[in-house]
Formats: sequence, structure tokens, C-alpha cells
Amino acid sequence: MHSAVIDSRAHDRDNGTQSRPDLSVTVGDLVLGNPVMPASGCFGPELAPLIPFERLGAVVTKTVFARRRAGNPAHRLAETSHGMLNSVGIPSPGSDGFRSGLLRRYQAGGTHVIVSIGGLVASEYYEVAEDLADEDIAAFEINVSCPNLEQGGLAIGTSAERVAEVVSGIKELVAVPLFVKLTPTVSSISEIARAAQDAGAAALVVANSFSGLSINLRNRSSTLGTGAGGYTGPGIKPLALKLVHDAAAAVTIPVIGCGGISTAADVAEFMIAGATAVQIGTATFTRPTTMIEVIDDLGPLCEALNVRNISELIGTMDNRVTTGLSL
Amino acid sequence: MALVLEAPEVAASVRPGQFVMLTAARAGESAPALPRPMAIYSRDQGAGTVEILYGVVGAGTERLRSFNPGEQIYTVGPLGRGFEVAPDVQTVLLVGRGIGTCSLTTVAQENAERGRDTIAVTSARNSGALIGVDFYRKHGAATVHAVTDDDGTSAPAALIASLTEQHDEKPPQLILTCGSDRLTRLCQTLSERWEAPMQVSVEAHMACGLGYCHGCASGARSQGNESPLICADGPAFAWRILAETDA
Repeated sequence: MHSAVIDSRAHDRDNGTQSRPDLSVTVGDLVLGNPVMPASGCFGPELAPLIPFERLGAVVTKTVFARRRAGNPAHRLAETSHGMLNSVGIPSPGSDGFRSGLLRRYQAGGTHVIVSIGGLVASEYYEVAEDLADEDIAAFEINVSCPNLEQGGLAIGTSAERVAEVVSGIKELVAVPLFVKLTPTVSSISEIARAAQDAGAAALVVANSFSGLSINLRNRSSTLGTGAGGYTGPGIKPLALKLVHDAAAAVTIPVIGCGGISTAADVAEFMIAGATAVQIGTATFTRPTTMIEVIDDLGPLCEALNVRNISELIGTMDNRVTTGLSL
Repeated sequence: MALVLEAPEVAASVRPGQFVMLTAARAGESAPALPRPMAIYSRDQGAGTVEILYGVVGAGTERLRSFNPGEQIYTVGPLGRGFEVAPDVQTVLLVGRGIGTCSLTTVAQENAERGRDTIAVTSARNSGALIGVDFYRKHGAATVHAVTDDDGTSAPAALIASLTEQHDEKPPQLILTCGSDRLTRLCQTLSERWEAPMQVSVEAHMACGLGYCHGCASGARSQGNESPLICADGPAFAWRILAETDA
């Protein structure tokens, strides 16, 4: 396990001034220097010339499949008024290719490496987890939103039973902590969150992209090569915030918030709703240095919110002030 | 529209055919979500500036137009693989249509610096939309063919007749094109006729511009593997790679 933890308090002890807010958070057994990490798929070693990886709470890889696979046909991107749709389809070098190539480049960043894993059938999750279990990896993030071929393409993440089965199946095989990245379009996020926790998840990531569509008026077809795509960006922030609130209320394990986050204030909102850490995705496309700018802004924001340790924000939403609609 | 960016590092290091990503959202804004890939129309290493031309076609370019002189614009680059000109090439034919010409103009700039000859074709709907005519002349192009739909000179049959008539005797050793499928096919004919290799610069919507998001896969076959990415493996491709496209 990586020991590279950035202690944001260290500088202040030296100069004797009033210490800056402590940005560190604990996710299971993992101590992060700050709560900010990239969302899977929206990050890669190619960003190394632009941002210092060691300043991130962790890095998260693209989803790795057991076998090499290509992505979807073009077009894979469509901008929307408040974000974007993608149908990239997660190309992967396979676990062998990942282990000998990309993984080393992520590890060179000097922070925790969380490896997202996926599968088109349940056994592929087990295979890739076993293939990578002996590597220096802080956690696996199980992507349960992949189309599952055993269920006619329906994602495992839509069923509490299937999530429990896959998580406990991986848990039996490997000692690496398991984070489960939940699918947002479900009737009860609480039920799936509890199923993942009971199956042995160390943390949840809430949530993945929402299924969306955009249409080209000229030919009345989807603007994406595959029809539907995953909707991400600022437009999904309120939706993700509600899911985080509900999931965090349903479980005792940490929740990592993800969806439309682009500012330090967004991070604070997600933490108040119940998140222990956050992931930033689409905002990195808009400005590749977004995560670093957000981390820089978190200290002053904590001071403005009158907290000395950012973890004091977690789950502190005051539900009494909501009138009318109940959360 | 034209933007001149004070970007000394880009001006010093950009190679012909490379691009930059311009974020049209100002600091603190989150839309447009995606930066726009833009070709470098010209570079001035001494002044530390690069010039970018663009047409206002949507929300992103509309927002770019709102930037004021002196304002900062978030820019990442230079990015991608540009054109490759072999050492023995003496004459390069550049064939561009509309705004696509902007991917080719710095080749003429480099040709002038390195003593190579440029033959330029710039094509557009009408004479008002032509790009690069004066630029090519200023940067030493031996011949500039400015052709338009309005007067019929851009029609492939007319253009190919005029190009072969003028250059069959001493043909170029390299053909570079951008901006039109029709002109790409025309260049393919010329490439075969003159046995000159051909490279195409391809446009695409991009998210990262660096190669990690895989949003701009070209669709070209690559032995069952992920297809080449326009941002990182291109945007300039040897024609034979793109010729294997699924579509």
C-alpha cells in the first residue's frame, strides 16, 4: 500500500503561525491527504505534464477489463448545455497490458492508486481482480455499470442481489479494499448501497454517469455512434448530491461523492450531504488543472466555514431546516 | 474571426499540423464543458505569439468571440502529431478547404524557413471565404491556386485538370490536405498519379485532447484494437491509415 500521504498541516508547524485547516480524510483504512481524486475515465498519465499527481488525494484509473477491448464506434462525444454525453465504451489494454504499462505510470504519481475494474460477465470481474491482486494498489473500484451480457446488457449495478454477488465474489478472492461505484439510475440507491456494504465493500462511490440521449435534428438520429451515452458534468450535480445524501444515510461505510463537481464549494456540499471524499471528472476536461485549483481553494473555504479539519463537514447537513418536501 | 494568443512556449515549440485546446469557459464558469481544438494558423516565434482563425458555428466559438483583447484564455498545447515531412522532400502541395486551411499554413511557414517550395490550393464557397491566399504568397508559395464554388474553379474535375497541367512536369513529393472529403479524394488521385505520399489532417470533437479520454477515436481499423485517436495519434495521419476506416 502506498505511504505517500500529504500532510497539509506539516508546513504550519514549522512557521508557528496558526495552522491551516487539515484537509486529510480517511476512507476505510486509507488516509488521503485531501478528499479530491479523479473520476475513472476522466484521468490518465497523459495529464502528468499539467498537474502534480502527488497533490491529489488519490488517482483512479480507467476501468480495466480482463481482456483487451476496443471502444465504441464514433462519435463518442456530445456536448450538452450543462455537461456532456459520452459513449466511449471503455477501451482497455486488458489486465496484462495494464499491469505492464499504464499501472506503472499511475504508480509513478506518488499518491494512492485506485484501480477501477469491470467485466461483461461476473467471472470477468473475478479474473481481473485476481490478475491485479498482488500489485501495489490502494483499492479496487468496482464498476458495476458495465452492460452485463448474462442479463441482456442490463448493468449489474441495477440489482442489489447481483451487486452483492459480485462484491462478495471478489472479496473472497482478494485482500485489496473494495470500493463499489454505484449506478445512479436505480429505484432505491439505499437498497443497493446496503447490499454492497453487507457484501464487504470498504466504501461506495456515488455515482456513475446518468444514461442520456441527444438527437441530431437533420437526420433524426442520435449524435452518438451507439445511441445513448453517459451524461456527466454540472447538470447532474443536484442529482448526484441527492444520491450521496440517501446512500450515506443508508450505510456506515464511507461514501465518495461523484457527479458534476467543479469547485471547492461543490466539494463542501457533497461532504455536508455525507461524502467523505469526492471525484472530479468532466471539469478536468474543461480545465485540466481543476482538481489542483479545487484543492488550493479547500483550505480557505474551510476557514470561511469555520472548520479546522475538513472531515468535520461530513454528513452535517441540517435536515431540520428543510420544510415542505422531506428528503 | 481571429485570435492572437501571447503564448511564447507554444510559439517556440509548435510543429506544423499540431493544435491547441482553448477553453471557452472563463475561470469559475463550467460551460461550455469541452475545450475546442484549434489549429495554429501562424506563429511568430520572435513575438511569442500564435494566431488562430475560427468560424462562429456554435456555443463554443460564440463564447470565444466574447473574449476581449488582453483577457486570459485557458490554453493547453501544442498537442498531437503534426505533419511529417521527409528530409528529401523539396516541394509540398497543400490542399485546404475553408477553415481547414488553417492546419496547413504553418507548413508553408516552415517550408519558407527550410528552403522547401510550397504549392498551395485554398478552396472556399466564395472569394470572401477564402483563407490563406495572402499568407501563402507572403510565405513564399511558388503557386497559389485560389478556387471557389462560385466560379466553378473548385469543382474536382476543373481543379485536377489545372493542377496536373501546371505540375505534371515537376510534381510535388508530398501532398497534405485538410477540410474536405471531396478534396481528400482529389488528393488521393494526385498522390497515385505523382507517386507522392499523402497525409490528411482530421477534425474531431475532443474532450481531453491528450489521449486519455478516448473520445475522438478515428474509427479506423487497427487489427481489432482501439482505433487511432485523432488527438494523440493525429490529427495528421498518413492516408493509408485512414483508408482502413470502417465506415
